Amino acid sequence: MDVWPVRGYEGQMTAMDERTKEAVRYLGYGRHAVDDKTRALVQEVFTELEQAAGPRIIYRIFELQTFGEERVEIGGLEIRSRSLSRNMKGCERAVMLGATLGVEADLLMKRYSVTQMSRSVVMQACAAAFLEEYLDNWQKGLAESQRQEGYYLRPRFSPGYGDFDIVHQGEILRMLDSAKKIGLTMTDSSMLTPTKSVTAVIGLSKEAVPCHKKGCETCDKTDCRYRR
Amino acid sequence: MILERLGKELIYFDGGTGTLLQEKGMRPGELPEIWNLTHTEEMVDIHRQYFEAGSDIVLTNTFGANALKFHSTEYELEDIVAAAVVNVKEGAWLGVHDGREVYAGLDVGPTGKLLKPMGDLSFEEAYEAFREVVQYGEEAGADLIHIETMSDTYEVKAAVLAAKENTKLPVFATMIFDEKGKLLTGGDVASVVALLEGLRVDALGINCGLGPEQMIPILKEIMKYTSVPVIVKPNAGLPKQRGGEVYYDVLPEEFGEIMRKIVELGASLAGGCCGTSPDYIRALVRKTKELKNLDKRCMPPKEHTIVSSYGKAVFLGEEPRIIGERINPTGKKKFKEALKNHDIDYILREGISQQDAGAHILDVNVGLPDIDEPKLMQEVVTELQSVSSLPLQIDTVDVKALEAAMRVYNGKPMVNSVNGKQESMDAVFPLIQRYGGVVVGLTLDEAGIPDTAEGRAEIAGRIIKEAEKYGIQKKDIVIDVLAMTISSDPKGAGTTLDALRLVRERYGVCTVLGVSNISFGLPYRPAVNSNFYTMAMQAGLSAGIINPMSEDMMRSYYSFCALMDYDANCERYIEKYGNQAAAFVSGKQAEITLKSAIEKGLKEEARYAAYELVKIQAPLEIINEQMIPALDTVGKGFEKGTVFLPQLLMSADAAKLAFAVLKDELAKYGDTQQKKEKIVLATVKGDIHDIGKNIVKVLLENYSFDVIDLGKDVDPETIVEKVIEEDVKLAGLSALMTTTVVSMEETIKLLRKKRPDCKVMVGGAVLNQEYADMIGADFYGKDAMQSVYYAQKLLKEEM
Repeated sequence: MDVWPVRGYEGQMTAMDERTKEAVRYLGYGRHAVDDKTRALVQEVFTELEQAAGPRIIYRIFELQTFGEERVEIGGLEIRSRSLSRNMKGCERAVMLGATLGVEADLLMKRYSVTQMSRSVVMQACAAAFLEEYLDNWQKGLAESQRQEGYYLRPRFSPGYGDFDIVHQGEILRMLDSAKKIGLTMTDSSMLTPTKSVTAVIGLSKEAVPCHKKGCETCDKTDCRYRR
Repeated sequence: MILERLGKELIYFDGGTGTLLQEKGMRPGELPEIWNLTHTEEMVDIHRQYFEAGSDIVLTNTFGANALKFHSTEYELEDIVAAAVVNVKEGAWLGVHDGREVYAGLDVGPTGKLLKPMGDLSFEEAYEAFREVVQYGEEAGADLIHIETMSDTYEVKAAVLAAKENTKLPVFATMIFDEKGKLLTGGDVASVVALLEGLRVDALGINCGLGPEQMIPILKEIMKYTSVPVIVKPNAGLPKQRGGEVYYDVLPEEFGEIMRKIVELGASLAGGCCGTSPDYIRALVRKTKELKNLDKRCMPPKEHTIVSSYGKAVFLGEEPRIIGERINPTGKKKFKEALKNHDIDYILREGISQQDAGAHILDVNVGLPDIDEPKLMQEVVTELQSVSSLPLQIDTVDVKALEAAMRVYNGKPMVNSVNGKQESMDAVFPLIQRYGGVVVGLTLDEAGIPDTAEGRAEIAGRIIKEAEKYGIQKKDIVIDVLAMTISSDPKGAGTTLDALRLVRERYGVCTVLGVSNISFGLPYRPAVNSNFYTMAMQAGLSAGIINPMSEDMMRSYYSFCALMDYDANCERYIEKYGNQAAAFVSGKQAEITLKSAIEKGLKEEARYAAYELVKIQAPLEIINEQMIPALDTVGKGFEKGTVFLPQLLMSADAAKLAFAVLKDELAKYGDTQQKKEKIVLATVKGDIHDIGKNIVKVLLENYSFDVIDLGKDVDPETIVEKVIEEDVKLAGLSALMTTTVVSMEETIKLLRKKRPDCKVMVGGAVLNQEYADMIGADFYGKDAMQSVYYAQKLLKEEM
């Protein structure tokens, strides 16, 4: 008997949970049906990650000011970015956050790159999806508590999205004291370490603004093979 | 002297400074260390308040004062550190009214960077940064070095070594644990204690991260293992956020109350961390100074024999442990070959497969004539600890190689070995004293191996006694009474077993044994080995050095553990053998061709098919008729978009296993392998994302290229040097982000200058054809298969 009774596109999309769909997308399947073997591997790797990885998050809420079309100030940090300004329009405060799956995920990926490359690649995708899922769940809680204070959340916006320069990553990490608090650091070239990590800002406004869901759709690179 | 008081009385630390600095007007984003020079009065006043509150040790305001974290164009690190020490002494002069002896502790915090291999900071760079600050501190008159808030065992090792090797000051070290008793980098309490005690810190403990209540379980755990005085410095509870402000939820009275419990549990040095103030220290002093038995803080010595890796501790002495012996060239043609060809991946796979098979510790021996053993040993240890969480046993007779490996080892290693010869002990014990470790003592001396149990036990006694001179405790010595083959000495096994029992009884030390020597020269060795293994465990063997890939040995091991109640409810035994009958059935592989197995990405089937096929067909024919066509089919499918990356790589993994089978066969015919074309691959300087490069590597290897993988974050110079040294015609470079494409361009420029005939192919997330042209690459591989096609076109068609 087939363990994964998935045949064709329709059945698959209903049977797959959100993170599986995301992982499969990261693996470059686009809108194609995923094969059973890969799908089984994806499930296995998620289980492995759940046991090994210790996701951690640190966040702080800062006052926010926008100046014109391309300047935002969050807790004294000045950021020049049109896309961020657009995203933060009408916000009074912003949540700054850093999150990481920890070194364990990196160690596992490194280990499988020596013994089983297919698993390493699948883990890369699953780890990214796992971290997103973790953040989504955390954000639900945050949205609820902010609602009680009268604030609505904007989508998460990370350095590297649009013209939000990746070098701001360092300042965000410092403001959060993330190295000490969750072990999230950065290389000299502004890459987050451990690699499965995220920094982001979330605008808080008094008004609910209907907006697109996440970063992917806001990106200008419409021919991306990993696009949602 | 602080050292004379340690463990004999309760010593009080200071508390946090952050809040006090803010109250005195420090703005967010300012570097607090600069205040030592610009706001001397305020700094002195903060220190004074702590001395008045009762602190015996006040820390300098130098938490972030290291070259990696402190970047100022105006102020010199040396001046900052010097002023910081003076400020504490001033504070003492103003704040101590009862004439008690107090101390300025040089505060050393983490670099804020992650060490290699997960980050980009090398161990030696971290060491240098710490060396600088501790030397300044000692020159300025600090009384002790306090390394704190560390969350990485590797970084704390660099800091402690820097302090011990460059100053004469006492060294304290405390780390951040989370509520589960783990470091952010995964280490547990026992592994941290083993490491720090091995490095001979004068006191160790826990600070920051948690409030006093949450620290209690961790303190209890620390007390179980440590023999040195313990420091506890909690935050003022857990952080809460109100509005934009962060505050802590435990007030001074409550803090003092919980700290009293902590002192009663055995902490010898107590203070506060984030959110605490002089009021907290006052409360702490008030609640604890009346406690009885404060003068009996001496830590009873603990007898656990512990080796550790970055992530876990392995205890010897109770349940028997397995030391995997496979990383060793002795008698292994393929392993020797791998060492000569610098095939590190082969060695890593030997390690990982032993871990998967159930090993608890991995023995590492890379000794071959004509090999730079110190360099190779250091490299293999570094690489192994990035793919395996098992502690390592460094196995070498080359003292330089031993030291090189011990220095970079992330944890408390096992060392194989020292023996009863004076020369051996003179060379090895100083290294154990310096880096920590559990050392294997072989019971042989200048006169050889005694042929009686008593003779061997005597040598063991001498080794233990000599070790005492270096302060090496008995718990850090494990004795190997040596197994001699029964084919030349019929009483050999009996003597060894007697010696095992004798050594355990007489000295109470742990034991190891290279078990398989016993059967040397006999047919069907596994039968003798596995039975002798059981007998040795019965005689008190703590850890057998065995081949965990041998089912006979593992059967003995699991059976012994089940029989002797080391395996609760026989759980591990059942897990291992519960499906035995079923496994035999599925062992019969379905009939499937090698070509089809590779196309479908079926690893075991591919291995089996290759194994069967090689009995009737020549390896090169199999490669050309089955494997290459299969890989081509999959590759084409990938290009067309009908096969996806995971499937492509499953096929690659399957092909790799089949190749391994064929390689063995080819080796039998001697050197009939075709000459392979060399390709250098590297992820460029500054870039730590190497998955793309690794994918390309696997595929190129499948297509019979000889890939020289230089890893990630590789200097342009290293890449060029390798290209020249190996006379390589094609280099592949990967980069993930715009910030690192710069180093890609730099590498290409240098290659063009030094080796214009070497072509360069590039790939990575931010690259495209335009970008690749701009930085001067010869080829842009938009996916992994494209790189293979390019390499084939360039290197194979030329021939």
